[in-house]
Amino acid sequence: MESDFKPLLDQYRANESYAGADRNGCDSLDPKSKRPFHVEPRNIVEEDTQERVSAAAAVMNSRMQYYSRLTGSSDRLLIPPDHVLPAPEEIYVYSPLGTAFKVEGNIDGSGKNPSIVTIFAIWNTMMGTSILSMPWGIKQAGFTLGVITIVLMGLLTLYCCYRVLKSRSTISFIDTSSWEFPDVCKYYFGSFGKWSSLLFSMVSLIGAMIVYWVLMSNFLFNTGKFIYNYVHHINVTDLDFGTNGTERVICPSYDSDHFQNATLGLYYTKDTNESSFLTFEKWWNKTDTVPFFLVILILPLLNFKSASFFARFTFLGTVSVVYLIILVTLKAAHLGFHLDFHWLHSNRFFVAEFRMGLPQLTGVLTLAFFIHNCVITLLKNNKNQENNVRDLSVAYLLVGLTYLYVGVLIFSAFPSPPLYKDCIEPNFLDNFPSTDVLVFIARGCLLFQMTTVYPLLGYLVRVQLLGQIFKKHYPSFLHVLTLNIIVVGAGVLVAKFYPNIGSIIRYSGATCGLAYVFVFPSLIHIIALRRNGQLTWPSAVFHSFLIILGIANFFGQFFT
Amino acid sequence: MEVHSTERTLSLQTEKKYPDDELTIVLLMGKSGSGKTSMRSIIFANYIARDTRRLGATSKVCSFLNAVDVEHSHVRFLGNLVLNLWDCGGQDTFMENYFTSQRDNIFRNVEVLIYVFDVESRELEKDMHYYQSCLEAILQNSPDAKVFCLVHKMDLVQEDQRDLIFKEREEDLKRLSRPLECTCFRTSIWDETLYKAWSSIVYQLIPNVQQLETNLRNFAQIIEADEVLLFERATFLVISHYQCKEQRDAHRFEKISNIIKQFKLSCSKLAASFQSMEVRNSNFAAFIDVFTSNTYVMVIMSDPSIPSAATLINIRNARKHFEKLERVDGPRHSLTMRMR
Repeated sequence: MESDFKPLLDQYRANESYAGADRNGCDSLDPKSKRPFHVEPRNIVEEDTQERVSAAAAVMNSRMQYYSRLTGSSDRLLIPPDHVLPAPEEIYVYSPLGTAFKVEGNIDGSGKNPSIVTIFAIWNTMMGTSILSMPWGIKQAGFTLGVITIVLMGLLTLYCCYRVLKSRSTISFIDTSSWEFPDVCKYYFGSFGKWSSLLFSMVSLIGAMIVYWVLMSNFLFNTGKFIYNYVHHINVTDLDFGTNGTERVICPSYDSDHFQNATLGLYYTKDTNESSFLTFEKWWNKTDTVPFFLVILILPLLNFKSASFFARFTFLGTVSVVYLIILVTLKAAHLGFHLDFHWLHSNRFFVAEFRMGLPQLTGVLTLAFFIHNCVITLLKNNKNQENNVRDLSVAYLLVGLTYLYVGVLIFSAFPSPPLYKDCIEPNFLDNFPSTDVLVFIARGCLLFQMTTVYPLLGYLVRVQLLGQIFKKHYPSFLHVLTLNIIVVGAGVLVAKFYPNIGSIIRYSGATCGLAYVFVFPSLIHIIALRRNGQLTWPSAVFHSFLIILGIANFFGQFFT
Repeated sequence: MEVHSTERTLSLQTEKKYPDDELTIVLLMGKSGSGKTSMRSIIFANYIARDTRRLGATSKVCSFLNAVDVEHSHVRFLGNLVLNLWDCGGQDTFMENYFTSQRDNIFRNVEVLIYVFDVESRELEKDMHYYQSCLEAILQNSPDAKVFCLVHKMDLVQEDQRDLIFKEREEDLKRLSRPLECTCFRTSIWDETLYKAWSSIVYQLIPNVQQLETNLRNFAQIIEADEVLLFERATFLVISHYQCKEQRDAHRFEKISNIIKQFKLSCSKLAASFQSMEVRNSNFAAFIDVFTSNTYVMVIMSDPSIPSAATLINIRNARKHFEKLERVDGPRHSLTMRMR
């Protein structure tokens, strides 16, 4: 093969070589218009035109064109490996106008995202349903303590994420360029690492799917109720304990010995067709019937072989979050601020600034800031890899600010004199009645977004679980159906009997955070340092402290 | 540029000429994952079906009942040679099956054995062991078969070490193959070595190739062509060529082969088969046409004043002569054919 070091394109530019073509008596018409742009202007009669492209590159091009015809466009079987392609500096792209451009950076697409895109991708991936539980979490921990905790947890999880990022570089002699964090765990902890990382990954995924099911039932119920009331022109004045006026905020799960049961209500209808309304109430119930209706909708979606269709809808998540932020701002503007600082003792309307519910908030925050199982993949596409840590920190900052914003505003704006701060629901949208139009839109957006993310989560569960157990992603329709029924069944059961998403989020967050956020990254760091003989006492103490924090976080969920 | 294509009549003719009884086999064997499917796909311009790729490696657990696997019976070349692809090894129980009960079925009527070694393989001992088992089977069932060994995926070896590693392997293989003679090539789908290796293999399989070459030279000189190439029909591997002066592009054979194979793939989408092509501009004229039952010819004329018709008539007349050449010796295979 000819020397690979000869640059593919000589200094001789395309424009100048056209002058040479005229010499052999071509037509007097402009040769540019007649020349197909990908044919080298080599002249078989005269010998002295310079080659624009080296022979090796020309035949490689011919080979690649041919091989690409032999496989499907998504097959990677006959794609040239990196060592076969010329270095990026030597690759030129021909434009139809006859000039050639040098390509900046890597050709095959990796590492081409500017920092902004990477930061946005991380922000988008991290923003989950825990944003709905932020006000409740702050309420459980107390306002001041809550705000401090959000900041500190953000920093802590950021450091652990940094450890995850650096974990691959501790492995020498093996090519880890395609490894994700579970693979690193497998390397360090062997088979135990493999199965434990699978277990914890399942916990986080299935926990997320259960939360999604509860939320989807909730939103579907409220949406259905809104539409039914709107269509039948029913003016609802329900006796949910809440504020009066246009910006109504309610307290749906208030104690029944103080007030009436929240599900009762007085309804004034245009036509006194009470029986049909009661039938609707019976058949459209948040915990009894709607979760089952969802099954009919969602279960078929889970059985698709490939989830790539659903991956197109990730932009909906961004839209929903942005809308939520706008909604929160509007509500806060209308309701005003209601803050009163009681440091250690809660009174009737307000809660203490420092409360014992702190582990509940940390549990929620562990899941809120969780991205450790895919941060390596997300940062792989960053154009300037040296900015990875900086971009990750900026992303965490933005995520933390978003959570703080939503949590603090809702908490502050919650109208406390008539209502109790204790009323803030784990899903703060529940504090608004189903007749609220803005919130209806929010619920609709989120419902639609969750319907598109749920099959993706189901696909991930299927791929990881079945891939490990049966070595195949789709062993048979029966296997997949069984798995889907189990997962959906869990969601339906929880939606019926224990629809408290705050608890589900904190338990699953603390559990999978125990492995992926606190224990594994720190342990791997300690082991790697020890193997290199670079373990110092402060470092060992600090990382052991992190591990203890993770364990305390986990056990704290059960004791508060 | 004019292109002539017919509706399958040509391929039907070839098939009728050599009924299934007279088929002899080219065995393409090697460990699973050594690159046989890709190689076959590239040389024979077969679309790689998604299923086979997804399974990781082609698992030829198929019909031990027919010696000729249904999937392969369409891949014919040189008239009555059929390409069969078999995986060797991977699972030892399969190997026992291959080499005890089904041995005769697989190794009977074999004209050529092409064994593919993956240069990256970490189990050299095992590979050699399988290779020797195949050789034993060949000795028993088809002792006249030609043996070729391809050391594949050479692009994964650093350039300065390639010659050394290949020489080592070649020595080992030649030693192990005695009393059979094996010819070794080093190949990679990412450079010209694959094309050249297969061209050499096909060159050795053409019945009277030296005579063909002399006649080709005469033909070229008579019609005043710049270059004349003879391609094998199914794979467009260059069997022989004549050029009257030095050409600059050493890779032109492979490029032409790739271009025509791509064109054949496009034609097959329309259920048409490629018959002939003429490409002409003010500097040259190129004619690609069917030649004999096993070959295509490409004639390059650099004198644009010679009309196409003249060259085409010349080619037509030459065709009759070359067909006679082929028929005189006949397909050698029928002489050694076993009666069933």
